[in-house]
Amino acid sequence: MFLKLAWLNIWRNGRRTMITVASVFFAVLLAITFRSITDGVYENMIHNVVSYSSGYLQIHKNGYWGEQSIDNSFEVDEELSKSLLDNPNVTNLMPRLETFALSSFADKTKGVMVLGINPTSEKEVNQLNEKVIEGIYFESNSTDQILIGSGLAEQLNAKVNDTLVLIGQGYHASSAAGKFNIAGILKLGSPELNSNVIYMPLKASQYLHGAGNRLTSLSIMLGKTSDLESSKKAIENSIDTVAYEVMTWKQMMPEMDQFIEADSSGHYIVIGILYIIISFGLFGTLLMMTFERNREFGILIAIGMKKHLLAYVVLLESIMISLMGCLMGVLGGTLIVHLFTEYPVEFGGTLREVYEDYGIEPIIYFSGNIRIFIYQTLVVLVLASLLALYPGYKVLRIKPVDAINS
Amino acid sequence: MGKTIIDAHNVSKTYKETAIPVRALQDVHLHIEEGEFVALVGPSGSGKSTLLNMIGGLDEPTSGTVFVDGVEITKLRENKLIDFRLQNIGFVFQSFNLIPVLTSRENIGFVLQLQKVAKKDREKRVLELLREVGLEEKINSRPGELSGGQQQRVAVARALASKPKIILADEPTANLDSKSASNLLDIMAKLNKEEKITFLFSTHDQRVIEKARRVITLVDGKVDSDVQQKPT
Repeated sequence: MFLKLAWLNIWRNGRRTMITVASVFFAVLLAITFRSITDGVYENMIHNVVSYSSGYLQIHKNGYWGEQSIDNSFEVDEELSKSLLDNPNVTNLMPRLETFALSSFADKTKGVMVLGINPTSEKEVNQLNEKVIEGIYFESNSTDQILIGSGLAEQLNAKVNDTLVLIGQGYHASSAAGKFNIAGILKLGSPELNSNVIYMPLKASQYLHGAGNRLTSLSIMLGKTSDLESSKKAIENSIDTVAYEVMTWKQMMPEMDQFIEADSSGHYIVIGILYIIISFGLFGTLLMMTFERNREFGILIAIGMKKHLLAYVVLLESIMISLMGCLMGVLGGTLIVHLFTEYPVEFGGTLREVYEDYGIEPIIYFSGNIRIFIYQTLVVLVLASLLALYPGYKVLRIKPVDAINS
Repeated sequence: MGKTIIDAHNVSKTYKETAIPVRALQDVHLHIEEGEFVALVGPSGSGKSTLLNMIGGLDEPTSGTVFVDGVEITKLRENKLIDFRLQNIGFVFQSFNLIPVLTSRENIGFVLQLQKVAKKDREKRVLELLREVGLEEKINSRPGELSGGQQQRVAVARALASKPKIILADEPTANLDSKSASNLLDIMAKLNKEEKITFLFSTHDQRVIEKARRVITLVDGKVDSDVQQKPT
């Protein structure tokens, strides 16, 4: 009965209710679209960065992160890979052996990061092959070919098919030295990586460093990237955490996490302003709806309705108006997000080049994360409940005789 | 002598909102027995509505006590008082009594729902009451679709819904034409006679006064006369 009464009450002045519903609708629609774009951009940025570097999660030998040395590498066994792949949220594993060496070509030398990778899994996850601007991608996992960043190639003045000498330290202080043929030159998004990195097939790297079957890290790609912490916990529960450590990309790249946090706070302010604007509209409607029925409230109290039930009806009215606006906003937001997911907007011109230079796809991605929709709906409903507090308080303070005579 | 249903002792009410306090009631004594049909009369500002509000527990006296059916309502806390009203007192106001968005059925059923009466019994009682006030065919009409007289009859039906011991009516015929007023009075008199419900109503209307069996006149917040009469 109270639900029905609240529903009928909000339609006493249908035009006013529709204006209020429309303001909630536009606020929710804008908030969802805005959050969807910003989250989509962040998700895409994170995916691009982590797929080239850390993965969403990474497994090391316990203590490796504190002292990043090949001596803190670990041997991969079948059991470890199997237990990781048993996790339904794990989509790919990327084994890597990361070391440092001195590279030399003709009369030039430079310190470099040598990344031993599995060519097939890297191709699958981050399409490293598509970054080759000269030459070819690796043909197998065990050749003595390498790929070098274009910045490094420039600094060493090396070209495809030239031979590069690498001298470094292998496992347990063994000497690691070899000659490698430059199969291709890569143009990577990160300028730092571009001028420092050498990719080498994992087997070749392990052989060079006398590291047997060892890895410094096993990067893990996830299906649901929002389940980062729960995936980490699940993996920690399935492996020997005395032998291995599991780290998230946030722990390994805190500066990127902090950048996103800082950037998001600006977005929260924009959304906050949106909600403050609709709050005034909703509050005005609620106040009018309450005060214009003062006499009726007095009569209802006189005939035996308790004040808290009246306040409850006022709360229901506020929630109903907001919920209508929310549902319409969520529906509209879903359509927009779906539309732009199906037909993404691509950047053109200089902006496209800037994005590509940083290794990020020049596309505006919309995030379809259900949490955005739930969060915006909850925010509006909480807001509606809070806004109903004042009219509710006024109802609780009504003196029936004054109200009836008003 | 019948059972006392309303007993007011030394009831005074002073409004202090203005610079000069207004003494709306001064040491009023009132004793009404079960089943009486009483008209409270007097000029505007004589304290009729104030006294009805005190008896109905809608307002608190500045001093004095009010007993309704043996319960000292002036001592009841707010929620207990609302419950007491729900179970024992029916109200009919001058106008705009009904919830405009609800039909006659829903307006009457609302009180029964507050009393947590089961739906089946509720429906039965609503029909019975609408039949009593002669508005069975208006069961699904909203107040806006009813005439002033019909609205007051629905208000009487609503006041009766909880089977109260008393019905307090504050100038129930003030906004009605003579035919509607007479019709409403006949219904109230019939209910009083058949269901032994005590009626106390304030009025200026001579036709209404003539229907009452007891007429209490208030002047300047005091009982000026209290007369038993043979209704016409």
